[in-house]
Parts: sequence; structure tokens; C-alpha cells
Amino acid sequence: MNTLTLAAVCLLLASAFLLYGLSYDTRQVEARVHSAERNADRLRTEIAILKAERAHLARPERIEPFARQMGLQPIIRHQIADPAETKLAGAAGPPATATSR
Amino acid sequence: MLIFADPADRNTHHGAAIATRPQPAPLPAPTPRTQALTVAVALMLVFSALGTQLVRLGQRADIMISASMAEPVATSHSRPDIVDRSGRLLATDVEVHSLYADPARVLDRDELVEQLSTVLPDFDAEDVRRALADRQRRFLWLRRGLSPRLAQAVNDLGLPGLGFKKELRRAYPLGSLAGHILGHVNASNLGVFGIERHIDETAAPEPAHSARTTERPPVRLSIDVAAQGALESELADTSSRLNAAGAAAIVMDANSGEIVAAASLPRADPSKFGDVDRPDRRDRLQNGAFELGSIFKAFTIAMSLDMGRVTPASVIDVRQPITSGRYEFKDKIDRPLTVSEVFVLSSNIGTAQLALDAGTSEQKLFLARAGLLSPMRTEAGPITPPDVPSNWERTETITISYGHGLSVAPMQFTAAAAALVNGGLSVKPTFLKRGPSAAPLERTRIISPETSAAIRAMMRANVTEGTGRRAEVPGYDIGGKTGTAEIPGPRGYRNGAVISSFFAAFPISAPRYVALVMVFEPKPSAETGGKVLAGVTAAPAAGRILARLGPLLER
Repeated sequence: MNTLTLAAVCLLLASAFLLYGLSYDTRQVEARVHSAERNADRLRTEIAILKAERAHLARPERIEPFARQMGLQPIIRHQIADPAETKLAGAAGPPATATSR
Repeated sequence: MLIFADPADRNTHHGAAIATRPQPAPLPAPTPRTQALTVAVALMLVFSALGTQLVRLGQRADIMISASMAEPVATSHSRPDIVDRSGRLLATDVEVHSLYADPARVLDRDELVEQLSTVLPDFDAEDVRRALADRQRRFLWLRRGLSPRLAQAVNDLGLPGLGFKKELRRAYPLGSLAGHILGHVNASNLGVFGIERHIDETAAPEPAHSARTTERPPVRLSIDVAAQGALESELADTSSRLNAAGAAAIVMDANSGEIVAAASLPRADPSKFGDVDRPDRRDRLQNGAFELGSIFKAFTIAMSLDMGRVTPASVIDVRQPITSGRYEFKDKIDRPLTVSEVFVLSSNIGTAQLALDAGTSEQKLFLARAGLLSPMRTEAGPITPPDVPSNWERTETITISYGHGLSVAPMQFTAAAAALVNGGLSVKPTFLKRGPSAAPLERTRIISPETSAAIRAMMRANVTEGTGRRAEVPGYDIGGKTGTAEIPGPRGYRNGAVISSFFAAFPISAPRYVALVMVFEPKPSAETGGKVLAGVTAAPAAGRILARLGPLLER
């Protein structure tokens, strides 16, 4: 009887500790999840801003004067060739230059 | 135990209840040993029930209760990004700080107003002072959408009664580029114009109580940023060269109707509320119907060819003036012309004769079939409906044959004219990119493929030997038609004020793209030989634009 009661009490205590530990862990995990979510939100926002900044820096109005300063000019038709029209046509392997666009 | 009781979990609960019930009376009195055993078994059952519940609760995610700290005051909406056809960003949501005041907690009203006006540009001190006087109020927006730098500056003032709220704000990183197409949003981030409005009309906007960007996929436009940028810069150049009141151009896929670039000058800034629909900045492509002049002749000739009344080689005597009521129409041409020459040399009498020969009702039917008489819309909003004359008789038949007396929005014209060159199938203009899995286009036949081929041949001849010679760009096989339309004023047509336009298709043998270039009220200069005709204004502009855009377009 005594052993049994003792065992039951031990079991009770053990499970109480276990329960407390579990709920404590759960709360911690929950806090971690929340902070990770907040962090993800913040990062998402930062990504959005960086993407917007990148697009802003790459806008044609800004790039064009730079390109012209460097002596570049818009492409003209004669700079583009169809591989079929060139001497490379029929030669082995893929054409050496990209021709689309 | 009851705290964890779950209605969906009656079995475990019930099992536990049975187990704890005392043994029935008829059985012999239990010995202490059996009593202890019963208690032990009961305890075990209870604990296992508890354990099962714990596991169950742990697995159910939705049981987690979290209190929402967000106030429902500043409802903002998150919007999907807008990208161009190759994924370059045109519009996105960014987080901004919005400043509010709680008048009940403001200690020194005058100091607050004074301090704020040192930090915030164009701050209306008087207005805020008055609003803050109302102590019953607990919430007052002072400034929405502050940049992080300004928000920090306000925060550094350390004034009580002020607070920040994070909100989403629409940002257009490319500035005014494609501004008319994008439209704009209001302070709550809801679309009110252009594509922004279209987005909200097709998918319900997501209210966001906190600043949180959406995970919705971006809206992909048919616009190409590089082509759009090039078009806008060439148009600005054209406009200043010709000292014009404005300029506009569209480049459209001749078959799918996807608009690759479309611009109207002066441009509009989508980030400035109301800029897009300001009367002096309105989008002339969609929000304006104009008499387009001779570029309309393509429709008259296509109608006559398609009805089989003439062939491109039929000869028309254009020397005789035509009279209708009190009007007399005549040309400066002193020899009979073939139908093809009527187009290439742009003879008004020639097209008038063709239209009169076909008849008024046929002309109406044909233009209606081509989609020029009924209202149309694109994703950027409704297009100004065509101004169809209520009284359409002999005089109107004559003038409409060469593009006067019927006003059409340039966007609608371009879509209708695309059908004349693409083999004869209708085109619906769109600002959205067609995906590879898009449903096949619903297209109706407007003219026969043979008529379309004849029109293409005439358009090419117009560029090689007619009024459109200055639009020629070596290597692109451009075909086109010039049009110089007088602008109606309060008393008849205004003297010297014209809309000069050029409609182009290329490569003309099997057009992939059509384009319309318009110059509004160009002024004569040395460069144009003192003239404002489309042949010396819009045609060279179209040549420059297409030479610049050609390499950027998909083939």
C-alpha cells in the first residue's frame, strides 16, 4: 500500500513537473515563433523597400544619360543579325552571338 | 479536467468518468488491496486521459489564441506589385510611418505645432491648432506616409501626445514612367484609377491592419519598361523639336493586342494624387476622341476592296469636285488615280468617291464591324467613346471617308487598324501580358486576308514612295499612313492647328507590331520646311521612334 501510494505521489509530482515544463516550453516556443514572424515581416518590408530602390536606381531616365556619357548609343538594326543570314549558318555548334532581342 | 474538455472529445472524457465511478453494490466488500488497485487504475486512466488531451491540444494549431493589438483606426490595404512583361518592378507597397496626435494627451498645443512646423515641410499650423483644440477627440491624423528620416526627426522632438502608426503606401519607383497606365491609389491604398483600379475590381483588396506586404502574385503588364522609357524619351524629343502642345504614341502587338508601350505627353505622376486625370495631363490615347484625318482612309479603301467594288488597280477620276449641300470638296491632284495611288498620295476625293459608291449604310456597317463606333475599354479604364454623328448622311459619308466628322480615341483606332494589317482579324487592346496558358483569343473576321494583303502593300508603298517616306527605317520594312487632321474649334476648324499622326505596321510582310504616333499642334519650323503636315512631322518622329524601339522589341 505504502509503495503504491508513494509511487502514485511520485507519478503525480513527476507529471506535474512534466506538465509545467511542457507549458513553459510551449510559451517559449510561441514567443520564438512570434519573434520569427515579426522578423520575417520586417525583412519582407525591407525587401520591398530594397526592390523599390533597385528599380528606382535602374529607371531608364537615370540610366540613359549615364550610358550616353559613356559613349553608348541605342542599338540599330544593322547590329542585329539572324544566325540564318550569317556565315555561321551551317557551321557546327551554336551561333557565337546571341541574336534575340 | 473540465478546462480541457473538448466537445469533440467525448470518448476519452466518458471513459474517464466510467472508470472513476464506484463499483456496483452487489459485489463483496472490497479488500484494501483491491481498493488501492482501483485507485491506481483510476489515477492511471485519468492521467492517460490528460496525456491524450495534451497531445491533442498540441496538435491543434487553431486553439492558439492571440490577442490582436492592432487598432481598427488606420485601415490600409495591401496591394500586389505591378511588374512589366519581363518582371521589372513598376509599383510596390512600402512601409511608411504615419503621424497622429491624441489631443487629450497633448500638453502644450502651441509648442507642439511650432516644433512640428520646424520639422515637417508645408505644415498647416493653423489648421492643426484648431483641430487639436477639440479635447474630446482622441485621434487625429497629422501626416500620413512620412519617410523614415522625417519620422525619426519628429520622434526626436519627444513631444507627448504624438504617435506613429505603420502603414503601407504605394511607391512607383520609376517615377512618371507609364503613369497614365498605372493610375493611382488613395490614402487608404485603394486603387481609384488605371491599372490600380483594375486590380481592385478584379480581386477584392486585402485590408491590412498593420503594415504588412501582401503575398499575392504580382500583376504582370504587357508593357516593356525599356521600350516604354525609350518611347517616352523619343516623344519628349519630338514634342520639343516641333514645339508641340503634346504627343502620344502606342506600340501594340498586331495580333494579341498587347500594348508594349503607350505614352501621352505631358506625362502624369502616379504618386501625386489626381495628377493622372488632370485635364491638362489627361491620357490622350484613352481619354480623348479626335478626328484623326487621313489615316482613316485605310478603312474606306479596305471597305471598298473587301466589298469587291474595286481592286487596287481600279482607276478613279479625282479631278472633279464633289458637292454635297452647300459644301464643295476638291483635291489638288490633276490626273486620274488608281485606288492604290489614292491611298499613297492621300486623295480626299478618291476616298469620298469610294465611300459614296459603297453607300452610307455600308460605311456605317463596316466601321461598326471594325469596332470604331461602339464604346471600348482596356484594363486602364474606359476609353472615351467615339463621337458618332447623329446625322450621318451624304456630307458625313464624304468627310468620314477621309477621317473627319467622326472622333475616335487613338487607342480604339489602333486596335481597329491592327485588324486591317494582321490578315483581317479583330484585335482587343490589353495592358496585361498574355501568359503561355492563356485562353485562345476570341477574334472575329473584319476583312479577308487578301484585302489585308492589299492594304499592307499600299502602306509599304506609302513609305517607299508616298507621304510617309520620312518614316522609313532601313531593315524594318515599315508600312504606314500619314494623317494631318485639322482641330475643330468653336467656329469651324482652327487655322493652322492640326493633329499630325502616323500609323505604322512592321515588318509589313507579316506585321508583328502596329504603332500610332501622334503630334498635337506641331508648329512649323525650318526642320519641317515651314509645314505642319504629318509627312514632315509625325512620319519622321515615327521613324525615329521605331528605329529606337525596334531592337528592344521581342521578335
